[in-house]
Amino acid sequence: MFRALYRYRWLLYELVLRDVIIRYRGSVLGVLWTLLTPLLFVAIYIVVFAFFLHLNIPHYSVFLIGGLLPWQWFATALQTATNSIVEGRVYVTNSILAPVVLVVVPILSSFVQFLLSFAIALVVAQFFHVHLGWSMVALPLLFAVQMMLTMALALFLATLNVFYRDATQLIAVLLALLFYLIPIVYPLTMVPDRFKPFVMADPMATLVLSYQQIFYSDAFPNWPFFLYALGVSLGLLYLGRLTFNRYKELFADYI
Amino acid sequence: MNRYGNEAIRVERVSKRFRVLPIRKQATLKDAIVNFQLPWFPGSRRFIQAVEDVSFSVPRGTTLGILGRNGSGKTTLMRLLAGIYKPTSGSVHVSGMMAPLLSLGVGFHPEMSGRENLRISGLVLGLTPRQIANKMDAIIDFSELREFIDVPVRTYSSGMYMRLAFSVAISVDPDVLLLDEVLAVGDESFSHKCLDRMREFKDRKKTIVLVTHDATLIESWCDTALWMDRGKAKLHGPAERVVDAYHRDLHSPSMEGVLLKESRL
Repeated sequence: MFRALYRYRWLLYELVLRDVIIRYRGSVLGVLWTLLTPLLFVAIYIVVFAFFLHLNIPHYSVFLIGGLLPWQWFATALQTATNSIVEGRVYVTNSILAPVVLVVVPILSSFVQFLLSFAIALVVAQFFHVHLGWSMVALPLLFAVQMMLTMALALFLATLNVFYRDATQLIAVLLALLFYLIPIVYPLTMVPDRFKPFVMADPMATLVLSYQQIFYSDAFPNWPFFLYALGVSLGLLYLGRLTFNRYKELFADYI
Repeated sequence: MNRYGNEAIRVERVSKRFRVLPIRKQATLKDAIVNFQLPWFPGSRRFIQAVEDVSFSVPRGTTLGILGRNGSGKTTLMRLLAGIYKPTSGSVHVSGMMAPLLSLGVGFHPEMSGRENLRISGLVLGLTPRQIANKMDAIIDFSELREFIDVPVRTYSSGMYMRLAFSVAISVDPDVLLLDEVLAVGDESFSHKCLDRMREFKDRKKTIVLVTHDATLIESWCDTALWMDRGKAKLHGPAERVVDAYHRDLHSPSMEGVLLKESRL
């Protein structure tokens, strides 16, 4: 699988580039949309949680951005990657392209989107007098683990979607629910102690917390949590790869 | 020489079955949970036998033409040769580098320019970026679309689209070429160019398998021909003999009824 990705690295590059270009080609605001969308969400969460529900967190907007942007990468990537094999049926039935390429493209292109919005957010954060420091060097590690986790789940879901087309709907609902179970719009401290282990069992939750630590508190991630997320992601990636490889020769029959 | 000697392709007793789902509904997770039915459970669905017990071989440097009515299993057979489908039983061996051209414009996106699409399409076909860069000018010249090459292909006419797609497809240089109804596209002068390119392939001792409805093309181009009928190889042999028999069968009274019914659909 990784050999196939290496062999098709140039195609991968071109397809990711095309994904990103097409999103902006012909749009007036262009790249600004990558920031505008999360900012609108941030605005509505501030209205609802800070004003209506009196959630009292200093620099709430910065806190939100820290968790929201990585989450949006995760959600967008999974949503599109789940449908990637079915949507790429032209490739699957008419070329000898390794299907794993189709799964990886949406993950990488939403990663590029994420990096763009993250970069803009870092600049904007300066206006809120947020101190960004050395903990930023840990970011690439977080990106890597999140990439593995997303890839692992995408391999499962893309396979499932070939045989059961409602996997796309299922993942949409799951993502919407999961969003509220992960401390993105509220801090972990508000979760009652006995529920914390359940929340933290989700590797995406530990990743979001790590992002918030860096972005909001300029502190290094909690390493045991981080290693937990890494371990779970690696394990899932192994299983995802196994599943995908086992069923990929049936893809052309079923789509 | 490998253990298949002088054969570029060897197909041995190949069959392909597809599971068919009721047209009314796509398999859903809900069904699977409610009925405890997984699609890969044997015996849980009806089957279609698309290709049944087909054997043949193609000597290196020769051209095989496959003909048959719609739904006779030609495309399934081509996909089996390409390795896109895994045979239900039997085996397929292809020696040397193979390029399947089963559909034109795989990887094209309407919003991208002709040049951008050529690059991606070339990579899908297995060319390297360097090969594409080297061939780009030749491909554009062949397509005769130089003045439109940097505008989105959604503005192209369907003829222009096919010309662009064919130009990149034919730029690959495999040992074994599979062509499914993609041989002569565009207007008369362009399809002549396509055929010239094919002749060049033949002269360089490349192996070609082509599916076409054009019997004269098979007679004039192919060394051998394979007539597919309802998933089975009805006749395999010298091209003229097979085309002859195919024509006779096509115009026999029993067949005309079928054709009439087909054209009404």
